[in-house]
Amino acid sequence: MTLWHHAGMSSPSLNRPAGETLSDTGLVASLAAGALAVVAFFAVRPWLPAAFKAPGTPVMQAAAILAALLFLVPVLFAVNKRTGAAGRSPRWFSAHVGAATLGAVLAAIHSTGNLDDPPVLLLLAIAGLVVTGAVARVYLSRDMAGTFGTKRNAFRAPDEGTRAELRRLIEEKQALLKTLDPDAIEATFSVTLRHFLSSPCRAAAYKKLQRRESRLMGARASVGAAQAWWRPLHIALGWLFVLGLLIHILTVTFFAGYVADGREIYWWHITAW
Amino acid sequence: MTETSTPTPMPTGSRLSLMIDMERCIGCKSCEAACKSEHGLGPGEYRNKVVWLSDPTKPSLDFLTLACQHCERPACVRACTVTPKAIEKDPVTGVVRVLEDRCTGCGECVIACPYGAMGYDAADHHAVKCDLCADRRAEGKTSACASVCPGKAITLGPRDDHLAHAAAEGRAVLDHDGFALGPGTVYLKRLKDDAADLGGQQSPKVMEHVTPPPGPEDTAFPYRLKREDRTPDEVRPGGCNICFNACTTKFHFKKGKLTRVIGNDEDPILQGRVCPKSQVSLQLYNHEGRLTRPLKRVGPRGAGRLVPISWDQALDEIAAKLTALRDAHGPETLGIYAGTRTGIISKRGYLKLWAEMWGTPNLADTETFCSLNKTLMFEAVLGALGSGNSFTDTDLGSAGMYVYFGDNQGETRPVHFGMINDWRIRNKARLVVVDPRLTVTASKADTWLPIRSGTDLALAFAIAHHIFRQDLHDKRFCETWVQGWEMWRDSLYAQGYSPEWAEPITGIPADQIKQLAEDMARADGCVIFGCRGINQHTNGGQTNRALMFLAAITGNWGRKGGTYFNTSTPVPVNVVTPKHRKAAINRPAIRANAVGWTEAMTRGEPYPLKALITCNNPMAMWPNQSAIREAFMHMDLIVHMDLFENETSKYADYVLPVATGIEKGEIGRANEDRKVVWIDKMIDPPGEAKDDGWIWIELGKRFGFDDVLKEDYKDTALFWDEMCLTDPQMKGITQKRLHSVPWRWVRYPVATEDTTETETLYLEGTTAHGAPEGHRFPTPSGKLEFWSEKQAARFEAIGLSPLPQFYSEAEQLVDLPYLQAYDEDAEPGMVSPFHKTPTGTMPGRITQPGDASPGRRLRAQGFDTELVSGRPPAPHFHSWTHYSWQSQEMWPDLYVQIHPDKAREKGIEDGGRVRIETSHGAIEARAWLHAGIRPTSVFVPIGWGEHQPFNPWRPVNFLTDNRQRDPISDNSNLKTYLCRVTRVE
Repeated sequence: MTLWHHAGMSSPSLNRPAGETLSDTGLVASLAAGALAVVAFFAVRPWLPAAFKAPGTPVMQAAAILAALLFLVPVLFAVNKRTGAAGRSPRWFSAHVGAATLGAVLAAIHSTGNLDDPPVLLLLAIAGLVVTGAVARVYLSRDMAGTFGTKRNAFRAPDEGTRAELRRLIEEKQALLKTLDPDAIEATFSVTLRHFLSSPCRAAAYKKLQRRESRLMGARASVGAAQAWWRPLHIALGWLFVLGLLIHILTVTFFAGYVADGREIYWWHITAW
Repeated sequence: MTETSTPTPMPTGSRLSLMIDMERCIGCKSCEAACKSEHGLGPGEYRNKVVWLSDPTKPSLDFLTLACQHCERPACVRACTVTPKAIEKDPVTGVVRVLEDRCTGCGECVIACPYGAMGYDAADHHAVKCDLCADRRAEGKTSACASVCPGKAITLGPRDDHLAHAAAEGRAVLDHDGFALGPGTVYLKRLKDDAADLGGQQSPKVMEHVTPPPGPEDTAFPYRLKREDRTPDEVRPGGCNICFNACTTKFHFKKGKLTRVIGNDEDPILQGRVCPKSQVSLQLYNHEGRLTRPLKRVGPRGAGRLVPISWDQALDEIAAKLTALRDAHGPETLGIYAGTRTGIISKRGYLKLWAEMWGTPNLADTETFCSLNKTLMFEAVLGALGSGNSFTDTDLGSAGMYVYFGDNQGETRPVHFGMINDWRIRNKARLVVVDPRLTVTASKADTWLPIRSGTDLALAFAIAHHIFRQDLHDKRFCETWVQGWEMWRDSLYAQGYSPEWAEPITGIPADQIKQLAEDMARADGCVIFGCRGINQHTNGGQTNRALMFLAAITGNWGRKGGTYFNTSTPVPVNVVTPKHRKAAINRPAIRANAVGWTEAMTRGEPYPLKALITCNNPMAMWPNQSAIREAFMHMDLIVHMDLFENETSKYADYVLPVATGIEKGEIGRANEDRKVVWIDKMIDPPGEAKDDGWIWIELGKRFGFDDVLKEDYKDTALFWDEMCLTDPQMKGITQKRLHSVPWRWVRYPVATEDTTETETLYLEGTTAHGAPEGHRFPTPSGKLEFWSEKQAARFEAIGLSPLPQFYSEAEQLVDLPYLQAYDEDAEPGMVSPFHKTPTGTMPGRITQPGDASPGRRLRAQGFDTELVSGRPPAPHFHSWTHYSWQSQEMWPDLYVQIHPDKAREKGIEDGGRVRIETSHGAIEARAWLHAGIRPTSVFVPIGWGEHQPFNPWRPVNFLTDNRQRDPISDNSNLKTYLCRVTRVE
C-alpha cells in the first residue's frame, strides 16, 4: 500500500449507522409529548383520587423513584462518554434525552404542583436542562454549522508573544503528561475520567493547562456566547440537579422530621430526624 | 498506549496536505461544490469553503480556501469529549478525520478549531470535516476539490513536496501557525508583496444570510445519501449547457438516476476543470419545483392563477388562438423570443424552421442583450464571426500579455480564466484589466484601470493614437494585411484622440494609457479580451471595432498568443427551410431587439404585435421592466416555455414545461474557441415536460408543418446530423465524430469527418476556410478591413461615421457626446443595413451635450452615481442557478457594490439594505462595501427575480431603459445609467 492509498484508519466506518440519530423532530416531539402529559395530568388532577394529590403518597413516591432511576441514564451517558465503557455514545445520547424527558414528566407529576418548597429548585434545574439542551440541539446546531469559515484570526500574522507562550505551555503539558500518562502524546491527548480517578491532582493540573491553552487561542471567544457556553451551562445544571436530587432523597428519607416541619409525615421514610 | 494517543510518530515525509495557491485561486467555489457532491453534504454542511476577503481601506480582493489544516497538534482532537475519541489522526499521513459513529454532536471541536475549519451536520448532529478525500485516495485519485479547480490552485500530496515546490518556484508560504498547532496546509502567498496580508481583511456581509439559509428541507436527491447509494453504476460524458465556457462534464448515474455532475478528466484541454454551475446543475435536474405539466391562466393577466391542462388541450388552444390572430393581423403579429435556456439547436433549428414556415420575422433572442454588435463587427472586420484562436498552451497560453476590456472572465467563464491565470503566472505574462470594478479578474491583474463605464471607445482610441505616434504599430502586418489602417490613423490624429484627451473622459491618467499602449505594442503576443462590458452599450459596435483595430495594428491577429477575443462566438448552425415552405414575409421585423417591440405591443405601432411565444423569462431580463410589464398587459396571447414558474408565467396564457441539457440532447452554449460540445439525451425530463423540439414539432403539426418539422426530428441527434450541418465549416461535426472522442467535442471548421481540427486560424501563409486561395482572412479583400466603401455606406446610413468616432451613453456624470435616436420604436424606422433579414432600426446621430441633454437633466435631479450592471460571481448564471440551494448558499442576496466613501456619505453600512433609483425605476438590494470600485459608481448584478424560491429580489432591469440601443445591432445599453442610492431604514 502506498502512502497515497493509505486512506483507512482504525474505524471501519466513517458514517453513522442509520437510526442512531435523534432528529430535531423527534426531540421536539418527545418534549412536546412530555409537556402535554404534564398539562394533562394537572388538568385532570382535581378529579383524581387523593393518592395523586400529594407528593409523598405511595403512588407519587413510586413516580419519584422511577424518575430518579431514569435520571441515572443521563449520568450514565456522561460517564460512558468519558470512559467509552458501554458502547456507542450517540445511542447513549438518545437514551439520555428520552430518559431525562420521561423523568422530568414524572418529577413534575410527583411535585403535584407544590411550588413553595425547596424541591422546586429541582424543577427549575430540569427546566434549565431542557431549555439549554433543546435550544442547543435545535437552534445552536445551525450556528455550529455556520461557524465554518468565520474565524480568521488564525490567518493573521502570528503574534510572536502568544506563540511563544503557547510553546512554553506545551512544554509544561508534555512534562506533566510524562507522569500522568507516559504513553500518551500531547498533540492528541485530553484528560479523561480514568485520569481523574487514577491521578486526580495531576489530571486537574493538566486540565488547568488545557483551559489556559484554550483561552490563549481564544477558542470560546471565537464564537457566540450561546454557542460557547451552552454546554458548560448544561453540564453545570446537570450536576447541580444530581446534587440537589441526592439531597432531596436523603432529606425526605432520613430527615423526614425536618422536611415535615411539624406537619404529618405521610410518606415512606427510614428516619424522622 | 492509551486510547487518546497516536501509536507511533509520523514517518518523515509522509504527511499529506493540501497546497493552495492564493495567486491561482479565483474564488469560484467550484471546490466547495465538488466537496459537497463527493461527500453528499447538504445545506450548511462544509468540509471546505472559499472565503472572500477584501480590505475596506484599499482596492483588494483575496480568496482564502479553507479546509481542515490537519494540524500536527489538532485542537479538535484534544477538544473531543468522547472516549474513545470521535476524531482521530492517522499516524502515517497525519490526516485528521471524524468518526461519525462516535460523535455526539456537542460542538466542542467546532469551538476549539481556531481556523474555523470544523464543519457540523445540523440535521444529523455530528461534526463533519475534510479527510483529504480518503475514499478517493483509496482509489488512487486526488481530492475532489483539486480535481475540479479551474485555476489548478489546489494540489493534494506530501507536504514536503509542496514545500519543495514552493522553494523551487520562489513562492512565499503563509505562516498561519499563530497557535503552535502545526497546520499542514501549505498556502502559497500572492505574488504581490502587499497582497494576501489577510489580517484586517473583511468578508462581505452580503455573503451572510439575513433570511434563513437553505436548510435540510431544501435538499433534493442525492445529497445526504450514503456514499454507497450515490456511487455510480454508469458514467456518461457530455457537457454543461449553462454558460459560454461550455465545459465538458461527466454525468454519474445510479440505477438510472443522476447522482453527480463533474468535470471530464479525459478532456485533453480542460482536464476535469469545471465551475460550480455545472456541478449544481444536478440540483436543476433533480429539482422538485420544476414545471411538470402544461398550465393555463384562469385569472386576470398578471395574477398568476394557473391550472394544469393536457398537452393536446394546450397546443390545440394555442394553435387556434394563433390562427385567429394571424387572420386578424397577419403572421407578423407573432413575436418569438428565444432565450438562453432554449439551446442552440432549438433556437437555430426547430424554432427557426417553425417561424419561417409561419411567416413572422419577429424572432429575437438574447444576442441583442449580449453580443450581437460584436458578432456583426467581427463579420465586418474579419469576415467571420469570432477569433480564430484556442485556449491551448501553445496558442493563448503563449501570450506575453493579456488585456481585458469590460470582461470579468474570472467570474463569468471561470474555467477559461483559470487557464489564463495559470499561464500568466507560469510565463510571467502581464495582465491588465480595464473595468470600473476590481473584479475577480482585476484582482489578479498587474494593473487595474478603473475606467468610467461606457468610455472604452475613448481608451481604445487613445491607445492606438499613442501607438501610431510612437511608431510602435506592426508596420509589416498593417501594410500587408490591413485595409484602411492609414485612414484610421489619420482619423485618430484629426479628431485629436490622444491619451491626454482620453484622460478626463475615461478617468485613467494619460501616462497609464501610454504605458498600456507601449506594453501592448511591445508584447510578444497580446490577447485582448472584450465582453459584455463592451457590448452592452449604445457604442458597443464601434468599441468592438476599435478594439479589433487595436489588435490588428499591433499584429495580434492570425498568430498564436495574440488576438481579439469576445465571448460566445455563435456556432454556425444554420438550419435551412426549403424555399417552397417559407411563408412570404410582407413586413420587416419591427426591431432586432425584443424590447423594441414594446410600442407594437402597447400601441400597435409600427404594426400590432399581439402574440408572444417566449422561451425564457422576459420579466427579469428585459430592460425597463415597468414598460415591459405594461406592454405585456396589452397582449392577446402569451405562451411561456420554461423550467420553473416565474414572473413571466404570471403574465402568460399558457405555461409549457420544458426540458434542458441531458433531458433533451443538445450542444453546449456558443463557445469561446470554436468547440462544439455535444450533450446526449440521458434522462427524461420531469413529469410531462418536453424538449423544445418536441413542442415546435407538435405545434407545427397543427399548421401542417410536419413535412419539414418531421416526427423523427424529435430525436435531436438525428435532427443534428440531417438538418444542422449545412454550413461548410460544420460538415465534419457529425454525431459519429462527436461520439468518437470521450470528451465529446470537435472544433470547427472541419469540412469532413476526417478533417483535422485547426488550433489557430488565419496564420500567415494559410487560406481562410472557404475563402479564395491566398485570402488569409475571409473578407472580400482577404485582409482585415478597417474601411471599405460598402462598409462606409452602411455606417453612414444609420448616422454613424464610417470610421468610429467617440460617443458614450446619454446618462453620464460628465458631459460626453451621446447617441440620439431619430425615431421612436413606434416608427417603422429604416431597414437595418447590418442585419441579414429585413429588420427595422432607429438611425441616430452623435449629439454633443447641452442643457437639455439627459445627463445634465438627471444630474440636476440628484442622480449622482453611475450604475453599472453585470454578472454576479461564478456560482450564478442568470436565473438558472437561483433555484439551486447551493448557489443560493454561496451567494444569497441581490447586492449593490458601493465604495466605502460613498457609503459613508450616504450612511450605508456593509450588508445594510439600500434603495437604488434611476429615472426608469427603483429596486432594493443589500450593500457590499468594496473599495475596489470607482467611488462614483455602484454595481448591481443580474439574475435575481421577485418570485424565486430562496432570496427573491426585484431584478436590476427595473433600473434600465429599453430605448437606449446601439443602432448597428440594436443592442441595449445595460451598463451605464445615472442613479441615486439611499439607505433603507
